[in-house]
Amino acid sequence: MMKSSGLLGVCGGALVVLAAAACVSANAADKKLFGVSWQHFNEERWAKYDKACMLDELKKFPDWDYIETDAQASAEKQTSDVETLITKGVSALAIIPYSTDSIKPAAAAAVANGIPTIGYDIQVEVPGVFYLSFDNAEVGRIEARGVLAVKPTGNYVYIKGSQTMDISNLVHGGQVEVLQPLIDSGKIKIVGDQYTDGWKPEVAQTNMEQILTANNDAVDAVVASNDGTAGGVVAALTSQGLVGKIPVSGQDGDIAALNRIAKGFQTVSAWKNSCDLGRQAVQVGVALASGTPADKVGKSKFCGGPAKVCQDAIELKPVAITRDNLNIMLDAGWLTKEQLCAGVDQVPETVHGVNPPPACK
Amino acid sequence: MTESSQRVRARGASLMSSGEARRWIDALEIDTRLLAMIGTLVVIGLFFNVATGGLFLSPRNLYNLTLQTSVVAIMACGMVIVIVSRHIDLSVGSLMGMLGVLAAVVQVHLLPTGAWFNWIVSLVVALSAGALIGAFQGYWVAYRRLPSFIVTLAGLLAWRGGAWLLAKGTNISPMDERFQMLGGGLEGAIGPTWSWVFGIVAIVGWTAIIIDGRARRSRLGLAARPFAVDAGIVIVFAAAVIAFVMTMNSHLHPIRKTPMGIPIPVLILSVVVVIISVMATMTKFGRYIYGIGGNPEAAELAGVNVKLVTMLIFVVMGVLCGLSACVSIARLNAAPTSLGEMEELSVIAAAVIGGASLAGGVGTAAGAIIGALIMQSLRNGMVLIGIQSSVQQLILALVLILAVWFDVSYQQMRKR
Repeated sequence: MMKSSGLLGVCGGALVVLAAAACVSANAADKKLFGVSWQHFNEERWAKYDKACMLDELKKFPDWDYIETDAQASAEKQTSDVETLITKGVSALAIIPYSTDSIKPAAAAAVANGIPTIGYDIQVEVPGVFYLSFDNAEVGRIEARGVLAVKPTGNYVYIKGSQTMDISNLVHGGQVEVLQPLIDSGKIKIVGDQYTDGWKPEVAQTNMEQILTANNDAVDAVVASNDGTAGGVVAALTSQGLVGKIPVSGQDGDIAALNRIAKGFQTVSAWKNSCDLGRQAVQVGVALASGTPADKVGKSKFCGGPAKVCQDAIELKPVAITRDNLNIMLDAGWLTKEQLCAGVDQVPETVHGVNPPPACK
Repeated sequence: MTESSQRVRARGASLMSSGEARRWIDALEIDTRLLAMIGTLVVIGLFFNVATGGLFLSPRNLYNLTLQTSVVAIMACGMVIVIVSRHIDLSVGSLMGMLGVLAAVVQVHLLPTGAWFNWIVSLVVALSAGALIGAFQGYWVAYRRLPSFIVTLAGLLAWRGGAWLLAKGTNISPMDERFQMLGGGLEGAIGPTWSWVFGIVAIVGWTAIIIDGRARRSRLGLAARPFAVDAGIVIVFAAAVIAFVMTMNSHLHPIRKTPMGIPIPVLILSVVVVIISVMATMTKFGRYIYGIGGNPEAAELAGVNVKLVTMLIFVVMGVLCGLSACVSIARLNAAPTSLGEMEELSVIAAAVIGGASLAGGVGTAAGAIIGALIMQSLRNGMVLIGIQSSVQQLILALVLILAVWFDVSYQQMRKR
C-alpha cells in the first residue's frame, strides 16, 4: 500500500510537470509565465479562491500564461519544484512555502536569477523576496475589538494558536495591542491564557473546560485566535450552559463559524478574502516583471519575521464579519444562505442580538 | 488481570528467594503493577488537589476529566491487544480523523437533518468503515507479512489524506442532537438512577467473576486465594464504584441544577473495557493473542491461526477508532479535518504507561485506562494551574520515560 500510494504521488507529480511542459512548449515563443509553487493543493481554499482569482486576473494580461507545481506537503519536492520553475524561465514566481526554512535556498536562487519572487500568504524570509499576505496583527486586533464591543470590562481568556507557528504570535500581538491598555488600567483581567497545540479544536475545548473550572465560570469574554479554536471554545461553553452569553472571536470565515455567528454563538470572525490575495499576486508579479521597483509596488515594509529581514510588502486588511454584515459573505459566494442560516430559527430569542440576523431574513 | 500476567507472576514467585514482604504480596496474588499505577494516580490527584485549592478533585473537574480521557482510553484498549500481539498501530489518529469526518459527512450532508435514524446510521457507518479499514491493514500485516509499523505508517498518511478529501478541507458541523449525546455535554449523561443501576451491575458482575474464579480453581485442584483477600478486593472495588457514582451524581446540570450522573462516553468506555477484558481473559481468541505475543512461532506450531487472529486484532482496533471518532465529534459538535492529529502518540503512550510491553505478551485494558487517566490528569491539572503547553509536553514526556523505566527495573528485580 505504501508502495502504491508512493507511486500515485510520483505519477501525480509527473503529470503536473508534463502538463506544465506542454503548456510551455505551446506558448514558449511569445508569452511570459506566471509561476506558482503551491505547498499542498489540498485545501479547498486554494482551488476555489486563490487560484481561480489568479487565473481570472491573468486574463487581463494577454501576453501572460500560468504555470504551477504542487509540492504535496513535501519540503524537498518544493525545492525541486522551484528549481524546475526557474529552469522553465518564469517571469514572476509566487511561492506558498511548506517549510519556511527549507524553502530559503531555492527562493534565493530565484532572486539571484533576477526573477521577481513573492512569498504568497506565508513569508519567505529571503532578502529581495516580496511579501504578500494579510495583516495578521490586524486579524488579532479585529478579534480583540469584536469581543471588546460586547464586553468592555471583565475576565478575559486568550485561546492562542499553535505555539510552533510564527503566525500565532503575530495574531496574538494584535490582540495584546488592543487589550493591554485596558489590562493595565484594571478594566480587563486575563484569567486564562493557553496555546492550542496544532490549532486543534478538541485541544481548545479541553483547555477552555479547564479554564472555566479554574474560574468557577467567572469568564466574561474569550479571544480565540481562529474559527477552529473558537469552535472548541463554544463546545466547552455549551456544556456549561454559557453559549451565547460570552463573546467569542475567531478568524478565517469558516462555514461552521459563520453559522455560529448567525446563531449568536460566536461574535466575530476576521475574514481574509483570498480571492483578493490571488488577484494582488498577479498584479504584483506583472508590475515587478515590467521593471517597476519593488519599493514602488509595495505599500509597506514588513520586518516582523523570525530573522527580522525587511521586505517590501503588501498586507491586505482582513474584514470583521459579525451578525450585522454576514451578507458580505453571501455576496462573495463564500457560502450559501442555507449553510449560513441552518438551524438559526431554533435558537431561543434570549441569545444575544436580534434573531434572526439580517442576512437570514 | 490477565492469565499471562499471572503466569509471569507465578514464574517470578518460583524464582524468588528472599523478601518477606514480596512473598507475602505474591501469596495474595494481587497485581502489584496495577496497584502501583493506581497509587501514582492517587498521588497525582492529591498533589493537584492541593495545588488548585481543592478544585482538582471537585465533582465538576472529575466529571470533565473522565470525559476528556474517554476518547484516548477507548482507542488505548485496542492498542493494548495490538501491542500484546507484538504489533503497533500508528494509524489510529489519522483513522479516527477520517472516520469522524465520514460520520459527519453522512449525517450532515447525506442524511436528512433531524431524522431519528441519523445518529445510529452515522455511528454504524463509522464502525463498519473502521472494521473494513482495520481488516485491510491487518491483511497486509498478517497475510502479506509487511511490518505493522510500515503498514500503519502508510495508514497514518493515507487516512489523513482521506479525511481531507472527504471534508474538502472544511470543518463539518453541527452534529445531530441525539448524536451529540454520545459525546457527553449538557444532555449526554444518564442521570442518577441509571448511574446507580450501572454501579450495582458493575459490583455484582465483579463479585460473580471472583466467585467463578474461585470455583474454577478448586475444580482444577489449585489453591484458591485466601478468602479474606478476595473479599477485600470486592469491598475495595465496590467502594470505588460507589464513590465514582456518587461523584458523578453530585455534579449538577449547569442550568437545571439536577444531578448529571455518569456521562455517556464513560459508559461506552466501560462497555469497551469489559468486552476487551472478557475477550482477553476468558475466550480462545484472547488466549491466542497473548500466545502469539509471548511466542508467535510456538503459537503457530500449536495450531493457532496466527494470520486470522492478527487480522482480527486490527479489525477490533479499527472499530474502536470509529467509536472514539464518534465520541470525539459528538463532544466537539464538529468534525475538523485535524481530528485525531498526533493522537496515535497519546494512545500508544497510554497503553505503555498502563503496562503494555512493546516486546509483546504483556498488557491489560484496565492498565491502559489507568495509563490514559494518568496522562489526562496531568494535562487537566496543569491547565488548571495555568502551565503552558510546552512545559506540559516536557512533563508528559518525563512521565512516559519514568513509567517505562519503572516497569523495566521492576521486571528485572523480579527476575533476580
